[in-house]
Amino acid sequence: MPPRNHFRPVRTSMALFGALAILTGASMARVEAGTPVPGGTLIYLEQQAHTNLYPPAGGFYPNGGVLNQITDKLTYQNPKTLKIEPWIAESWTVNPNKTEYTFKIRKGVTFSDGTPLDAPAVAKNFDTYGLGNKDLHLPVSEVINNYDHSEVVDPTTVKFYFKKPSPGFLQGTSVIGSGLVSPATLSRKFDELGDATAIIGSGPFVVTKAVLGKEITFAARKDYAWGPANLDHQGPALLDGIKLIITPEDGVRIGALLAGQADVIRQVQAYDEKQVEDQKYLVFAPSTRGVNNSVVFRPDNPLVGDLRVRQALLHATNAPEIVQTLYSPNYPQATSIIAATAAGYVNQAAKLTFDLDQAKALLDAAGWQPGADGLRWKDGKALILTAYESQPQPQNKAMLQLIAQQWSKVGVKLNVLAGDSGSRAADDLDPLKTPVSPAMVGRADPDVIKSQYYPANRDILRQKGGQSQKVQTFVDDKLNRLLEGIASETDEAKRLAIAGEVQAYVIDQAYAIPIFEEPQAFAAAPYVKGLAFEAVGRPSFYGVWLARH
Amino acid sequence: MTRYLIERIGQAVIVLWAAFTVTFILLHVLPGDAILIKFQNPDLGLGPQQIAEIRASYGVDRPLWLQYGHAIGSFLSGDFGYSIQAGVPVSESIRANLPPTLWLTGLGSLLAAVIAMIIAFAASLSPFAWLRALVRSAPALFVSIPTFWLGIALIQIFSFRLRLLPVIGAEGWRGLILPVTTLAIPISAPLAQILVRAIDDVATRPFVAVARAKGATHAWVLWRHVFRNALPPALTVAGVLFGELLGGALITETVFGLNGIGRLTQDAVNNQDAAVLQAVAVLSAVGFVVVNLGVDLLHPLLDPRLARKERVLS
Amino acid sequence: MTVADPIETRRDLSPDRPAWLRLPRFARIPTSLALAWLIIAIAAAWSLAPDLFTAYSGTAGLALQHRLPPGGVHWLGTDELGRDVLARIIFGSVHTLSGAFVAVGVGLVAGTLLGLIAGSAGRLADDIIMRMVDVLLAVPALLLSLSIIILLGFGTINAAIAVGVSSVASFARLARSEVARVRTADYVEAAFGSGGSVLAVLWRHVLPNALTPVMALAALQFGSAILSISTLGFLGYGAQPPMPEWGLMIAEGRRYIATAWWMSIFPGVAVVIVVLATNRISLSLRGRPD
Repeated sequence: MPPRNHFRPVRTSMALFGALAILTGASMARVEAGTPVPGGTLIYLEQQAHTNLYPPAGGFYPNGGVLNQITDKLTYQNPKTLKIEPWIAESWTVNPNKTEYTFKIRKGVTFSDGTPLDAPAVAKNFDTYGLGNKDLHLPVSEVINNYDHSEVVDPTTVKFYFKKPSPGFLQGTSVIGSGLVSPATLSRKFDELGDATAIIGSGPFVVTKAVLGKEITFAARKDYAWGPANLDHQGPALLDGIKLIITPEDGVRIGALLAGQADVIRQVQAYDEKQVEDQKYLVFAPSTRGVNNSVVFRPDNPLVGDLRVRQALLHATNAPEIVQTLYSPNYPQATSIIAATAAGYVNQAAKLTFDLDQAKALLDAAGWQPGADGLRWKDGKALILTAYESQPQPQNKAMLQLIAQQWSKVGVKLNVLAGDSGSRAADDLDPLKTPVSPAMVGRADPDVIKSQYYPANRDILRQKGGQSQKVQTFVDDKLNRLLEGIASETDEAKRLAIAGEVQAYVIDQAYAIPIFEEPQAFAAAPYVKGLAFEAVGRPSFYGVWLARH
Repeated sequence: MTRYLIERIGQAVIVLWAAFTVTFILLHVLPGDAILIKFQNPDLGLGPQQIAEIRASYGVDRPLWLQYGHAIGSFLSGDFGYSIQAGVPVSESIRANLPPTLWLTGLGSLLAAVIAMIIAFAASLSPFAWLRALVRSAPALFVSIPTFWLGIALIQIFSFRLRLLPVIGAEGWRGLILPVTTLAIPISAPLAQILVRAIDDVATRPFVAVARAKGATHAWVLWRHVFRNALPPALTVAGVLFGELLGGALITETVFGLNGIGRLTQDAVNNQDAAVLQAVAVLSAVGFVVVNLGVDLLHPLLDPRLARKERVLS
Repeated sequence: MTVADPIETRRDLSPDRPAWLRLPRFARIPTSLALAWLIIAIAAAWSLAPDLFTAYSGTAGLALQHRLPPGGVHWLGTDELGRDVLARIIFGSVHTLSGAFVAVGVGLVAGTLLGLIAGSAGRLADDIIMRMVDVLLAVPALLLSLSIIILLGFGTINAAIAVGVSSVASFARLARSEVARVRTADYVEAAFGSGGSVLAVLWRHVLPNALTPVMALAALQFGSAILSISTLGFLGYGAQPPMPEWGLMIAEGRRYIATAWWMSIFPGVAVVIVVLATNRISLSLRGRPD
């Protein structure tokens, strides 16, 4: 790949939006014409405070946004090609059945506390991520499957052994959840890792000050010399530092950016894109390449235990209307449970049609008869479902309300709750209380499907023996077998075939109604140059510089 | 007087204890708990087993009365406990959040007093009847505006449209102007009312006429007597305003994205961070008790009629 | 307590707290009062028969006609889901007004009862009740309201109950001091003297006399209850979507303030006008405090 491309904003849907492409292209031309100016502090507005900075918890975007600046990974996933490239690991070898991985570690890399990032440190990192640490309550990383143990061959060589084939591991070493941290950090308890200053990484920035829930100050490491080898920019970061300020109010973030009080913001809502672009500011909407923003069912709840009811609701959902009303071309309508840019994607659009007559027929067949109040009734019960709003997802409350409006046309009521965190956390485990739930997760590997659906991982459907003890009976062995296959099939073609099979199966079972492919939407002032994003849309400020303005 | 003081302090201690206990009970009957809220997040990847272990490590799986005893014991020894959501000691959370709130509420009350005075004197001294009438209706309007709505409007107009004052990354006083104004406007209304009434009362008294006859200017007479008249009722509302300040601070901090005790409280309620709330409840109860005690002790000094009555009664 | 009493009494009797809304002399002419009643009448009519005032639905809209500016078809514009803003304000009045009624009702009934008991049932009861009231005042009102709402579940009526509970203390203090004042009045002493039972005297003489200022406070609380409920709605603890409660409308509309100001400005104006009107009416109920 031409190295410059890395600096181009990753707009998955640019092709659809020619005019904007020209606009963005024009400003990019200026970027390339200018010479990077070092110095300055970037003001970055984040929507939510981080929760915990144990690297495997980095999947949560606010966590990942912090971790991505302060940690390096063994490998670098090129966001353009999704190929795995060297970073802290200079090279690697994998045995044919993908149970042994050997990495050669780059020399001279240090954590910001001065300890060397060598083979023993890497081994300790992955032992912790792969096996967890019971005493310190450190959980197993969801991106590492079938991990057995590590072996330090010599100070620059580390080897990992797996109980069963683990084909996703190489990509797994490049993700945010595999950020390398100092052994000192890993000897802390899980709940101490909420303090950003406790996270000692080897990345281009170091956290110098953290005001809880309010702001984090980063300073560039002047001795940083081990960025991903294929990047255009090398050496220390160009910025002096970053100031990350938690700004939950959407209107304040966008207003502050446009009024010149901030340089980059995360979570630009679709309705604000126009005013950003009208002022020649830039919208970046890198795809999360993972599980699409969807509505999923908890079939353990008898109301949605019947396949016909789930199918009826799938066909009663008008995804194009949702996308048109609430979102923008940066939010393409979903055509499967994973994004079209995700590995292993198979188009399921033919099964995702909006068809009110079919929906009504399915409900009739399932025995739900229209009552006098406009709702569907069966055995003295009305078809009333409940979902909690998911705050991190863009305009989720509005989306669920619109779905409720659409479902009401076939006599189904959907209550949308904001709820307090306590009720939400408790009710979310109980399929009887939350038969419907919004869901999404980003990762550029088919393993992401397993992460989302497998009972031992996120268990989004709530199966018996999974995350919740409230589940009575629901288990789908066929689904689980397929998911295990994705995590352990060594033949890449076969693995992608299984991923395709899972997509078809989940839609056939109507476990999920995919709505749109979720981007991570950022906006930046026109003088912010070199903003880059990792493969699933977390910002990297490593190569950023501020042009004179 | 000593006996009175001892009685009042005894009452205060009971109030503090009860506030602590009420908060404790309230938090423990809420659905879910802090551990679940913090750790039942799919991105963290913890299973039910691990969550149960964390729960045990915080000691929140023990019987309630044991937890209560432990909480009150460590509170008395100055240990406010540990914030589960933030993962830091509560004292640290409070230390980080109390100063901004004190600044906000302190400056807010000050500005409220200034606005009230301006209204009161404009309402009495303005040469035009229509202006006097207009100014007099301002307090009624001020208390009818929702604080959050006012804050949003001020940000949009002064920060984003006119770009006069930053709301993000503002250092020092420039960042405080809009939030302090937002907080002060509703608070100024009752104070303005009191002052207006005091001016009305004073203006009709014979001694004003006498003073003026002796050559004093109108404004000077007003200043001197109005304050003497307005201070007792102003003190009376101080206790009530203290509560309004806390509530107003929460809204202001939310709208402006400031950190402070108000937002800490809201987050802690939402996350059921019991230790933090316990500390906040006791802190504000202390504030309430001190303000009211102060008001009660000052009252007789400022209002001779009351002092006389008191002597008769005791 | 004997020493503290007159001070507390003085504080409670002080007309200042409720009277902050006293309107200036010029407004005391009936026009403003008539206007206030007219506004309340309109709001009440909206609550009782919203369908008479708008052809649109308060909860469902045409999704593709979203965020239309005010105009001939949608007088106050539409929101992000294509719902008519005016229709939502009209349909929302019932939630706002009934919420305020519930809040005032809870405070009035519970507070007055507590105050009556405290003022007439002897030292011990008085001490216990008044310390309880102190605790209610000392725990931050918002902490109390939010906890109550989480306990009861989110919703306008639950938010209203929470607001009501936080106002119990004011009612209790006022009622108690009024009872204490009335009790010592000659005619009440006389009623006791002529052998009336405590309850009968309370019912026939004390309560009616103590009630006047309490009712004035209730009228005043009505306006502030509307504000408090909309504040809770704004924080997300009140009405749940798609219910068109005014505070919630402002809260949802504020995200669009830069591009669709009508979504949050008009419900805000509705709140201000109705609160102004109820305050004006409460003033007239009080009469001249001094």
